[in-house]
Amino acid sequence: MKTALLEEHRSLGGKIVDFYGWEMPLQYKGVIQEHQAVRTNVGIFDVSHMGRITIEGLGAEALLEYLSTNNISGKEDGTATYTVWCSESGRAIDDLIVYRESATKFFIVVNASNRDKDLIHLLHYSNARDVIINEHYREDGILALQGPKALPLIARLFPETAGLQPMRFLSLPYADRQIIISRTGYTGENGVELYVPNELIVKLWKAILEEGKPFGIEAVGLGARDTLRLEMGYALYGHELSDDIMPIESVSAWTVKWDKDFLGKQALQAIRQSRQYKHEYGIIMEGKGIAREGYPVFQNEEQIGVVTSGTLSPTLHRAIAIVLVDKKLKESDSVEVKIRQNLCKAKITDLPFIPKYSQHHEEGI
Amino acid sequence: MKFTETHEWIDIEDGIGTVGVTDYAQKELGDIVYVELPKVGSEVKKGQEAVVLESTKAAADVYSPVSGKIVEVNAALNNASELVNTSPEKGGWLFKLVLEDLEEFDSLLDKQTYQAKLP
Repeated sequence: MKTALLEEHRSLGGKIVDFYGWEMPLQYKGVIQEHQAVRTNVGIFDVSHMGRITIEGLGAEALLEYLSTNNISGKEDGTATYTVWCSESGRAIDDLIVYRESATKFFIVVNASNRDKDLIHLLHYSNARDVIINEHYREDGILALQGPKALPLIARLFPETAGLQPMRFLSLPYADRQIIISRTGYTGENGVELYVPNELIVKLWKAILEEGKPFGIEAVGLGARDTLRLEMGYALYGHELSDDIMPIESVSAWTVKWDKDFLGKQALQAIRQSRQYKHEYGIIMEGKGIAREGYPVFQNEEQIGVVTSGTLSPTLHRAIAIVLVDKKLKESDSVEVKIRQNLCKAKITDLPFIPKYSQHHEEGI
Repeated sequence: MKFTETHEWIDIEDGIGTVGVTDYAQKELGDIVYVELPKVGSEVKKGQEAVVLESTKAAADVYSPVSGKIVEVNAALNNASELVNTSPEKGGWLFKLVLEDLEEFDSLLDKQTYQAKLP
């Protein structure tokens, strides 16, 4: 599958790789350069492989409330909420963002790898409820514009976005069509995501790149998208959340609200009471070796878990990782990661690895 | 200079081979952020893993093109692993070894044959 922007990626020198069946740019000029562009200036990403589904009708709010670990009911119109969905047995189906236009009109944005599964899940639980569900997988594209200069840049093209607060969105006209701009993202920087009909997305992509030149804009591929999200300790489905990793075990455990009812709650409560579940933490490697997904994690010569994601942090110049372990650990606890034949020292650290919203640029000033 | 199908190069001077990865390999790997070098004095066999190149995405093994004893490693890479990207066939060399068998070198690919194999 390809997004409407594939030829644009090729013309910018993008190295195209297969991502869950999608031909996507891994990088253009290089992962580190693109990462730093987002941390210091602004980067634009094609994330059209994610899927948008609309859920409308009198039953929409109750359905989404029931499927989500996080609170959905009663939120203000124009808000976006990150949540996990789980199955009746408490397994993570996906993590996603629920956008509320009104009490009877919502849309969700889901992971590329889970598009079909999420739609089936949604249709299954919508049975006998008053809702209309439509996927917009083919007609919509999605852009992300992220970095300390993303908001001034987008305000030049869309002055209506000035003052838009985090986790809020608005719908506005562009070339005689409606597009949606939300203050959301996956990098920890200020920025927006734009939901745009595919017929307009090439035009908008080019317009943003042109207007962004004085801001130092760079096109950013999936490689830097991963290092950026990992510095923030954000989950990536298939790594920190999966069929085998329950939301209460994951870095997204904060979404689970026990004072509401949701699908999978009973199973999760039983597991919580049994204390037989795992925990995810951030670690920073003390040496130079890089902990990668699947590497075993040890403490006192006993394996306690595995690495779920790991990379070199381009901001910290240190190797960072998220680990899934059997026991409760606290900040500064020592663990070891087996990198090839060697046990390499690491310390548990609070997430995110670096502060949100570019505060790290002011460190030491 | 000779090449392998796994994208290493080796150059020989006075019986000592200098080994690195090709420009094609560094482009495929992307930004190299850490290089795990072998120990000086260790012995490697042809085709054996000798170096690990860590990119932002993954760890990649570098195989020794020939058998021999490692006599020097490129210490500059400890603080400047990006040399593998910027100068893969010069400043970004990885290790030097004394060849056990010169015929192993002769049997490697010449530049033209290697380049013809690239996609």
